[in-house]
Amino acid sequence: MESTAKKWEDMTWQEKREERFKRWLNPPDVKFVSKEAEQLYKQRVTRFIKAIKLEEPDRVPVMLPMGNLPAYWGGANFRTLMYDYKKGHEIWKKFMEYFGDMDMFGGPSFVPPGRIEEAIPSITQKLPGMGLPEDAPMNQFVEGEYMKADEYDLYMTDPTDYNFRVMLPRTTPLFEPFKRLTPMRGFMMSNYWLMALCNPEIRKIFEKLMTLTDDQIEWMKASMEINNYIKARGYPSLWGGGVLLGAPFDHFGDAMRGTHGIFMDMYRQPKKLLEAMDWYLKLTVENDIKNFPMTASPICVMPLHKGDDTFMSDKQFAEYYWPTLRGLLLAMINEGLVPMPFAEGRYNKRLKQINDTPKSGVVWWFDQTDMADAKKTIGDICCIVGNVPTSLILNGTTQQVKESCRKLIEDCAPGGGYILGGGAHVDTGGVENIKAMMDAAKEYGVYKNI
Amino acid sequence: MFKRTDNWSELTWQQKRDLRFNKWISGEGIKFVSKEAEKNYQARATRLAQAAKMEIPDRVPCAVPTGWFPAMNAGITLKEAMYNPEKLKWAWLKFVDEYDSDTFDGTILFQAPVSDILIDRTMKWPGSGLPDNSHSAYQYIEGEYMKADEYDLFMKDPFDFQLRYLLPRTTGIFEPFKDIPSFSSYQGLPQRLMAMSMDPQFQKFLKAIQDAGKVIPALRKADYETTQAAAAKGFPMFRGGLAIAPFDVFADNLRGTQGIFTDMFRQPDKIHEAMEFVLPQLLSGAISMSDATDCPVVMMPLHKGDDTFMSDKQFETFYWPTFQRLLLEMIEEGLVPFPVAEGAYNRRLEYISDMPKSGVIWMFDQTDMANAKKTVGKVSCIAGNVPVSLAYTGSVEEMEAYCKKLIETCAPGGGYILSGGTTFDMAKPENLRIMMESAKKYGVYK
Repeated sequence: MESTAKKWEDMTWQEKREERFKRWLNPPDVKFVSKEAEQLYKQRVTRFIKAIKLEEPDRVPVMLPMGNLPAYWGGANFRTLMYDYKKGHEIWKKFMEYFGDMDMFGGPSFVPPGRIEEAIPSITQKLPGMGLPEDAPMNQFVEGEYMKADEYDLYMTDPTDYNFRVMLPRTTPLFEPFKRLTPMRGFMMSNYWLMALCNPEIRKIFEKLMTLTDDQIEWMKASMEINNYIKARGYPSLWGGGVLLGAPFDHFGDAMRGTHGIFMDMYRQPKKLLEAMDWYLKLTVENDIKNFPMTASPICVMPLHKGDDTFMSDKQFAEYYWPTLRGLLLAMINEGLVPMPFAEGRYNKRLKQINDTPKSGVVWWFDQTDMADAKKTIGDICCIVGNVPTSLILNGTTQQVKESCRKLIEDCAPGGGYILGGGAHVDTGGVENIKAMMDAAKEYGVYKNI
Repeated sequence: MFKRTDNWSELTWQQKRDLRFNKWISGEGIKFVSKEAEKNYQARATRLAQAAKMEIPDRVPCAVPTGWFPAMNAGITLKEAMYNPEKLKWAWLKFVDEYDSDTFDGTILFQAPVSDILIDRTMKWPGSGLPDNSHSAYQYIEGEYMKADEYDLFMKDPFDFQLRYLLPRTTGIFEPFKDIPSFSSYQGLPQRLMAMSMDPQFQKFLKAIQDAGKVIPALRKADYETTQAAAAKGFPMFRGGLAIAPFDVFADNLRGTQGIFTDMFRQPDKIHEAMEFVLPQLLSGAISMSDATDCPVVMMPLHKGDDTFMSDKQFETFYWPTFQRLLLEMIEEGLVPFPVAEGAYNRRLEYISDMPKSGVIWMFDQTDMANAKKTVGKVSCIAGNVPVSLAYTGSVEEMEAYCKKLIETCAPGGGYILSGGTTFDMAKPENLRIMMESAKKYGVYK
């Protein structure tokens, strides 16, 4: 923002995005270990930026579908990362050295600190050793009807209050006493706060939280340290501090009402649901998108769930899912951000419905969608990412993986706007097939050779 | 604690009000110091309730507008009274023993030691912005605590608005909240609260809250014990809850005078929308306070609707409609709204006469009482308006003459409570006494 004379609010979205790209390319907080690392970093980021803008980079960039694979490669697992950060991160560093060239790499993702999770157990999440077998490779969200069918109005009337007094006690037992507080929406009410926070039950909660401080600091330091370590060696990260937002439909369908609840609502109170999604979109744009800070990368990965081919009909998608998701995408684009919806499942039937966004504004990441079709339908307005099947990476030969990549590159790379990626992340399994993907991009994805 | 009957929803508002009044008059739960004190308590409460209902009591009730007078009477400063709960209690009960009235007015509700800890920026008080020997216990500092473009924020995520916008401006310890992102999702909330509890700024906040929590019980105890002791001696509190007019919520507390008057021209619809928004909150607040105190009377200090602040048309458009509805809804719940019209309400009398008979008690400050009796006095009990200037500087004779005249003008037919235009903080002691004596001397209904 500071490098230009033009005011932020007067810029076009492309200009805003350029500013964010510049920040991504020249990270002020990264101390590169060498000139070479810096150069590699810039080369890699440039590759992505060009692909995003539907231009041809030097070669097809790759997002290797590794979740916490490095841990397993080093003989550790998800649980190690939760408890023994130091050991986990040592492995991480070794893996990075072993693997070498990657267009993108980051620290452990979606791993919460174990001791804190034990102290503040959540009903909405199972973890290895906490509801899942100790050697489970991931966390598991537990869906539920956390918000009741008749609570849309309550939620919309005072969302923050609802989050504190209703959702928090329902989803995190430590906060159970919050449900006994009276609504906090009175005006001029600093004394209300006193009454609430002096309540012994509530005070105990904050006292408990404070006892966890050391663990939390240790964990945050460790995470920061590993991510800085990686960046300093020239690897850009996908998770650049961008927000993790989803479709408004999924906000209600996943986190609040659950699958059963939301599909009932589509029949029993469709207007309420539509109203709530519209409302939530506005709230999100106002609170989370407007004046979005300059972050390490402008990419915002958005996992999508209930809009896939099998969860709902085309008509339902058009009515319930797309309008508010599109609204959110447009708001992000307008702030110069790069939304990267991750269409879990299959989006074959949706391709014709998601083609009304500004050219090069959105990056679509597909899981099981037909990529040739995707290229044909939305390839001229959106960069697309995907989708070597997870099953192939886990069970196929390196030759098969390379073949799959070659085919994908042939279908999707021409003209730019393509990032080679997986359908989903793998955590376990051999590293050879991941390497094969990287090799394939270099072998088949160089643009002047096509 | 007032408990509703099973058939509550089938009762008329008058029946509801009677149940509430009867509970209050009974003095249930009060440990009276003597049989006589109990009798006096019930006689006083009955007198006030009858006046409120526009019935004819034994005599005109007199609510001596005590204010901070007990501190002066006991020879302590207001600062001492506010910071030393024991002294407060002693001074106020000394007053109760030395002066007669049909009511007990309560102690100082403002908690200075708490405001010190919280760093209250909306008030001045002795030792903090006012001199130690100040004649006023506190002074409100108006400000644009809500910006012109924040009405939507205020209404759409009220708690968030409080936490991240309003309180950081009004209350020092909340300042760190102005820089944090909103809590618009419950996911990750525990982690955020944890991150906050390890931030030194928030630790300071939590520490302040805890400190405040330590000083509050003594302050509350002193207030509670004083009120209880006054009741035990036979003096009822004629105030169960507090509420304000929807317009004043914005004009006084959020936008300030300049802000609200600009809004009346630039964004009138927003004011209306916002007043609608706070109306139910004001109502439920009044109900729960009255339930808790067992007294149906809801005191409502009014400010920006007076004759000089706005035109008739503005009163009719902005002030009255939501205020009227608030009054009606309180009445429907069996409550007795007791608006205190600070300033003059001469031009408002016709508007405010549009109310069910005996639903409201109007306290007037500088309004012409003869006129009030002729207009709003037909449907509402009226109270007031012995001038504070007279109580401070007038002779006993002048004071008596004024009270006599007021009684002659307002008492006929019932529905009048003798009281002051505002509180008699620095009045001559003999003028407080003559007021009560006048009620007894000239106010007996035959």
